[in-house]
Amino acid sequence: MAMSEVEMTKKQQALVAAGKKQKPFASTFKELYLGPIIAFILFLSLWQMIPSVLGLPHYILPKPTDVWEATVSDWSLLQEAIRITIFESVIGFFLSAVIGIGVSVLLASSKILERSIYPYAIILQTIPVVAVAPIVVIWFGAGFNSIVVISFLIGFFPVISNTLMGLNSVDKSMDELFTLYNASKWQRMWKLRIPAAMPYMMAGLKISCTLSIVGAIVGEYVAGIGGGNGGLGYAITVAAIQVKTSFLFSCGIAAAILGISFYLLVSLFSKMMLGSWHESAMKSDK
Amino acid sequence: MHIEVQPSHTYDVSRYNILKTSLLKTLLEGANDVIIKKNHAVYFRNVSKIYNTGTVALNHFDFPVEEGEFISFLGPSGCGKSTALRMVAGLGTPTSGEVTVYGEPPEELIKNTNDIAFVFQDANLLPWRSVLDNVLLPLELRGGNKKENKQAAISVLEMVGLKDHLTSYPRQLSGGMKMRVSIARALAARPKLLLMDEPFAALDEITRQTLQMELLDIWKKEKMTVLFVTHNVYEAVFLSSKIAVMSARPGRLSSVIDVNLPYPRELGMRTHPAFSDYVDRASASLENDEKRKETV
Repeated sequence: MAMSEVEMTKKQQALVAAGKKQKPFASTFKELYLGPIIAFILFLSLWQMIPSVLGLPHYILPKPTDVWEATVSDWSLLQEAIRITIFESVIGFFLSAVIGIGVSVLLASSKILERSIYPYAIILQTIPVVAVAPIVVIWFGAGFNSIVVISFLIGFFPVISNTLMGLNSVDKSMDELFTLYNASKWQRMWKLRIPAAMPYMMAGLKISCTLSIVGAIVGEYVAGIGGGNGGLGYAITVAAIQVKTSFLFSCGIAAAILGISFYLLVSLFSKMMLGSWHESAMKSDK
Repeated sequence: MHIEVQPSHTYDVSRYNILKTSLLKTLLEGANDVIIKKNHAVYFRNVSKIYNTGTVALNHFDFPVEEGEFISFLGPSGCGKSTALRMVAGLGTPTSGEVTVYGEPPEELIKNTNDIAFVFQDANLLPWRSVLDNVLLPLELRGGNKKENKQAAISVLEMVGLKDHLTSYPRQLSGGMKMRVSIARALAARPKLLLMDEPFAALDEITRQTLQMELLDIWKKEKMTVLFVTHNVYEAVFLSSKIAVMSARPGRLSSVIDVNLPYPRELGMRTHPAFSDYVDRASASLENDEKRKETV
């Protein structure tokens, strides 16, 4: 009697478990992915139809198939441009992350420093970097250096303002706890303020990573290539002059994919850093 | 005491007088010091605290705390009980008067010793640190041998019954467990004086009772002095050896009740007539203050 009961519950458990496994897979596909996929296919077919229906030439609005053909035929050009833009923006992003966090920590370590410099950091943030880009080119010369500096400048301020906000958002009673144990200024910084600022820093990095690609492309528009090979920005300029509209679309889509992948990478990194504790990274737990 | 200081021929009279008074002063202060160090863990001397907003948080508060006592500060919100407690931890300074801990200003004691520990109302754990690392924090900040620190942290965690959760993170724990970690963290540095600011206020009744019993055990075992802030009359009577009943606006001491119930205290004591008597007395004292305020 007892045995069979145990077996029953075991069977039931197995059934429940199987049901749990099967059902969400199919239903999440239906709920989450099916809609966007259908929308995407609809969008593509509409796009394919409109130029033929309205009789638009391919240099005004190329069909998706034209874009695909251009991508395939000029793949070597596109691939090289992507590679260069990735290189520039990664260096720009890396610089803005390291220097941004470093400067924030330094500013936050001294009240006087922060009070005197933070307002300028905010004002500088509002300057459109595109407007000062020519100055950067005068200082750093045409080509790679200027492009990296422009990419860095665009990504730098979100990191600084977010990190500083985080460093100053420490819970009051946690701060008092450190006072009670006579923590030194730098102990407080390393063991309390920086970990507490981590979510803010990560938010800053997420903003700055997509901006750094914008920076690199804008940099290429303004600073040219300085003799070397050009990135996406340069390829776009050239294609625009030659009215290679289909290839322009390829470049635009490539830049978008680049931005998305960069963002996803940084998000993954942020999840790894915050995984152990921060609520926004914990949704899978609930 | 009669003190005679003979003037030698090298001193003139005024020098002699200065010498006499300074000698007397050092003797008296020295004697005073000995008394304080021996008997008083905490001494509030005519302490007032007025905030910038003009609120009188504490008004001429005089209260000695003897070593080894379990004192509750009982009162409504706004009676300055937390303010008083925070001053003992050096987290606030009196506007006038003086707070000493073992005869010293608390700020000095915090700088040089681990004598004072504070348990906050919310567990106040660092969310990015595991249970063990949270308890290690005070030891880490003071430096010292890493291995010994870890041993010490594990032993206090064992004391609060969390030995199996060393690697858990605060978010994985219940409210009661978080508070246990917080208490363990306070105990890790072996304090002589444990300050607790409504530590159990956010817990459910059953968890609260368990933690109250455990706290009393730890208090007896570690021979500490405990200052416990609460607005719960039953809690105050159950835990304390002495209750300081306080009243609000302005915050002041309204009466002191010695609770002469024997330790160890058991949950069953709550139905004992003597227990109810103390609860009545404490409640009456609180109510009187309310009435007085209304008539004013």
